[in-house]
Amino acid sequence: MPDFFINGQPVHAERGQTVLQAALAAGFYIPYFCWHPNLSVAGNCRVCVVEVEGEGGGGSWSDIACNMPVTEGMRVLTDSEPVREQRKQILQFILLNHPVDCGVCDKAGECMLQDHHYAYNGEPSVSTVPKVRATKYFQLSDRIVLDNERCIVCSRCVRFTREVSGSHGLGIQHRGDHSLVRAAEDGAFNTDPYSDNVVDICPVGALLSKRFLHKARVWYLQPTPSVCPGCARGCTVNLWHRKHEWKLNHLDPKQNTEIARVTPLANPAVNGPWICNKGRDLAALFERPRAEQALLKGRPVALGEAFAAARRLIDDAGRPVALVSSWGSNEELAAFKRLLGSRFSCFVKSDQRPAPGEVVEDDILIRADKNPNTATAKQLFGEAPVAFPDGADLVLVWGEGFDFTQLPRGARVIYLNAYLAPENGHADVFVPISIQTERGGHYTNFDGHTGSFERLFAPKPTVAHAEDVFAKLATTVEVA
Amino acid sequence: MTGRKLIMDFPVTATSHLLADYVARGGYETLKRVLTALKPEDVTKEVTASGVLGHGGAAFPVGRKWAVVKLDDGQPHYLCANADEGEPGTFKDRWILEHAPHLLLESMLITCYALQVRNCFVYIRGEFDRPYRRLQAAVEEAYAAGWFGENILGTDFACDIVVYRGAGSYVCGEASALITSIEGRKGYPRNRPPRLTVRGLYQKPTVINNVETLSNVAIIMRMGAEAFRKFGVAKSPGTQLVSISGHVNKPGVYEVEYGYPLARFIYEDCGGVLGGKQLKCIVPGGISTKVLTAADIEGVTYDHKAMERAGSQVGSGGMVVIAEGTCMVRLLQVMLRFYHHESCGQCTPCREGMGWMHRIIDRIVEGAGRPEDIDTLVRISNANDGTTICGMGDAAGYATVGIIAKYRDEFEYYIANKRSKCGGRLEVEAGEPVHA
Amino acid sequence: MNAPNIPSMRHLQPEFEALKKRYPAGFESSLTLPCLRRIQEARGYVADQDIDWLVEYLGVPRVQVEEVLSYYTQFRRAPIGRWHLQACRNVSCSMRGAERLIDHLSRKLGVKPGETTADGRFTLSVVECLGSCGTAPVVMVNDAYFENMDAAKLDTLLGGLK
Repeated sequence: MPDFFINGQPVHAERGQTVLQAALAAGFYIPYFCWHPNLSVAGNCRVCVVEVEGEGGGGSWSDIACNMPVTEGMRVLTDSEPVREQRKQILQFILLNHPVDCGVCDKAGECMLQDHHYAYNGEPSVSTVPKVRATKYFQLSDRIVLDNERCIVCSRCVRFTREVSGSHGLGIQHRGDHSLVRAAEDGAFNTDPYSDNVVDICPVGALLSKRFLHKARVWYLQPTPSVCPGCARGCTVNLWHRKHEWKLNHLDPKQNTEIARVTPLANPAVNGPWICNKGRDLAALFERPRAEQALLKGRPVALGEAFAAARRLIDDAGRPVALVSSWGSNEELAAFKRLLGSRFSCFVKSDQRPAPGEVVEDDILIRADKNPNTATAKQLFGEAPVAFPDGADLVLVWGEGFDFTQLPRGARVIYLNAYLAPENGHADVFVPISIQTERGGHYTNFDGHTGSFERLFAPKPTVAHAEDVFAKLATTVEVA
Repeated sequence: MTGRKLIMDFPVTATSHLLADYVARGGYETLKRVLTALKPEDVTKEVTASGVLGHGGAAFPVGRKWAVVKLDDGQPHYLCANADEGEPGTFKDRWILEHAPHLLLESMLITCYALQVRNCFVYIRGEFDRPYRRLQAAVEEAYAAGWFGENILGTDFACDIVVYRGAGSYVCGEASALITSIEGRKGYPRNRPPRLTVRGLYQKPTVINNVETLSNVAIIMRMGAEAFRKFGVAKSPGTQLVSISGHVNKPGVYEVEYGYPLARFIYEDCGGVLGGKQLKCIVPGGISTKVLTAADIEGVTYDHKAMERAGSQVGSGGMVVIAEGTCMVRLLQVMLRFYHHESCGQCTPCREGMGWMHRIIDRIVEGAGRPEDIDTLVRISNANDGTTICGMGDAAGYATVGIIAKYRDEFEYYIANKRSKCGGRLEVEAGEPVHA
Repeated sequence: MNAPNIPSMRHLQPEFEALKKRYPAGFESSLTLPCLRRIQEARGYVADQDIDWLVEYLGVPRVQVEEVLSYYTQFRRAPIGRWHLQACRNVSCSMRGAERLIDHLSRKLGVKPGETTADGRFTLSVVECLGSCGTAPVVMVNDAYFENMDAAKLDTLLGGLK
């Protein structure tokens, strides 16, 4: 294992590491654009330049650190005068034809070019020739917009489609300063279920999500860790929403409780630094019209009345059956087991199935099971598919995805659902429940990894947490 | 004349490029001897002992490059002859392709034997149509005569060759871009490490040598390293094919023995400057080398060390003669336009820098130059020196810095007076009939 | 740009099969450039349908073929004039009259570099060094070099190109 020196400090490197990798691991920052820990080395931005002191009186030399193997005893300087000068020149080249339209660019505030410019250049341009113009707001796909003027041709996006998603959806056309990132003409990028990751890895504001375009300045937003419920992979994500201190008082207040965007939360054990496009669209999933009113056969009632009615149904039932939600959190599922598990015959329900046209399963992230917590649910309630024993006279349906026409004749229904649906009004007792963004909790994925999600927003006062509902329904039940 | 000849040592006739003529000159005898009497290591040893340097521009010792390839490592090895010849001013490999293709082929076979190469390639620029046809015809002749294929000369040695045509890209003359092009992709150069002799074509050990460099191999193996070293000078053994053009009376390809006096070559052997004009300067070895003034070349011998001492390089052997009265600002404009057009666009300093320099010089030529433009051109050149993936950024820088160093006054004049000091002339005299 | 009912180039497949045999195993991607050149030779340019077929035949990503077509100057995706006049404008050619030659061509044909004459006969391009500096100025017409050119020789040449 080679040991070497950075700025005079001894650093330990793993076999086969480059100077950049070893430096970052040891806490030394060397700026870069085109390098990415999960992609092959391109070595084209030239920003990660370092100086290496010559051995035995020889002159020093400089080269990019991302492609420089560590050799025993080498003495690397990351901040010497020649390095600073070279870095500054490179940054000036990068900015030469850059439009510097930060004022209208979504990336402002989380832009590597801004950060590196301020840290390592900080000077106005010395150029007095007009900038090269290129396409702005080019529709790269249905979901992604490309600004070729901001693009620094680092090739991260192209390498991503070659090495990670395998779609080969992007390429760089032409050459020189006419080089343009473009989507392959067979539309492979448009159907790439991982396409939106290029927005994260683009170091500048060239690749932008159409969904998020001009929605909000990133410094008004904060990320809250969560777990994507889109499938049993359980990728960890960040859900971005307005910071409390930046909440809007005079514009549409709904913006204060919206998810502005979804980004991956890097997780080496589960999803690495990526998520699929379904995870990007979680806002649309979570923000469907919500049920906010408890009902008795369609008649609006207070929660208390609904609970009382439900308790009576449970007391009177001969053979109660429960269809347990595979979207329930570990905590909710454990509570159901503990409070109601002995009273009901329980079956695990698959709340969501693959939609037409949706990728079912691949060997990257996407799992065929489109529910986040089948693992815990089945562990607690068994593998048996939903089946109604003879004489089933009460069915407690928890969560979405059950076809009410399959109910046994004459059975009463207690229905717990977060979303507005026609079935809500047909149930004997309907209780609106919270969704994962309104409470903390955990899911366990298909591989046994448990991920935690945190609360973003408070539920409406007329909406109950399922865990509390189970407690309310269990007061006359013998607890297991 | 220009020293003794090793390559251009026969009269060019209507048939001299054909196999029969080549054999009559002793062709393929050396290959026979190598295959039957020598081991692969013996060839490399001889080539190394000869001290022969690369003739593509970098002048890297050939034996040292070959030595990196590990024999019997269980991997396929590849050999590529670089016939891209895109450096402006250079057309000497074309002479070999058109008139001595079998010298190249025999040399490649010997090299393949030395490096345990089963499949070799000639990468020829797409525009070279007639040279391609000549070379391809020679390949077919060689196959028919049993020099390529399986069990050559009844030995275990097998070798196949493909002549691969480029499609219009100067950068594909750079070794790593060349093999990336052979892989069927854009000619993007690669970062080193790894060296191409370790991981090259399809990530296998690959040797890329210039056409003229390889053509020396058969000659070295025929006469032996010691005899070869009697040609040229100690640090530059052998000869250089020089292509000379521009304001010269007798343009063409000449074989110059290293050590030959440069001024004599230009003034006597090549007939001196067009129209009896004074020599202003020369581009010695392709436009990527620094210009040398008429005074600079006095007393300089044509070999690597002497050319370096004089402030330039042997380079690709593409010499351009520039007469008094030529506008160096316009000349640099032509060069920068070229580099801008050819930049592959991969790395930052070249991608942005070439366009920047081109736009600056265009503006100077249009009469809108600013005093700081000269220093900006130098600054961009220096910022490209040693910071790019391949040598093209550096090359454009050398061309620029070289011309500005010697002719800064012309640039200052142009900027101050919004017009050329030399009437914007690139030709010897404007309006002269062209090749009347 | 590409008419839907243009003839296919699949008849070239036997030629490509023979070419493939000359390469080592695993070199399918290498066939990209020679196959594109051959297709362009036959059609005059490379059509979208040709790209579809080549991608299927070679098993390379479509984006690779698109990139190659856009990167190399000799490939084109649209037809040009019957005679492609490519005049070098690099150092030695400019020093031996190329600029005047290009002017002459431009005026005579009534087109600027990059354009095609209305009758579809000639496309005029300016190109970089062709490796023929000793016989400057040089004009490449389709595949052939015409060296030591002057205005008179060019006029004669053009007259003979129908």
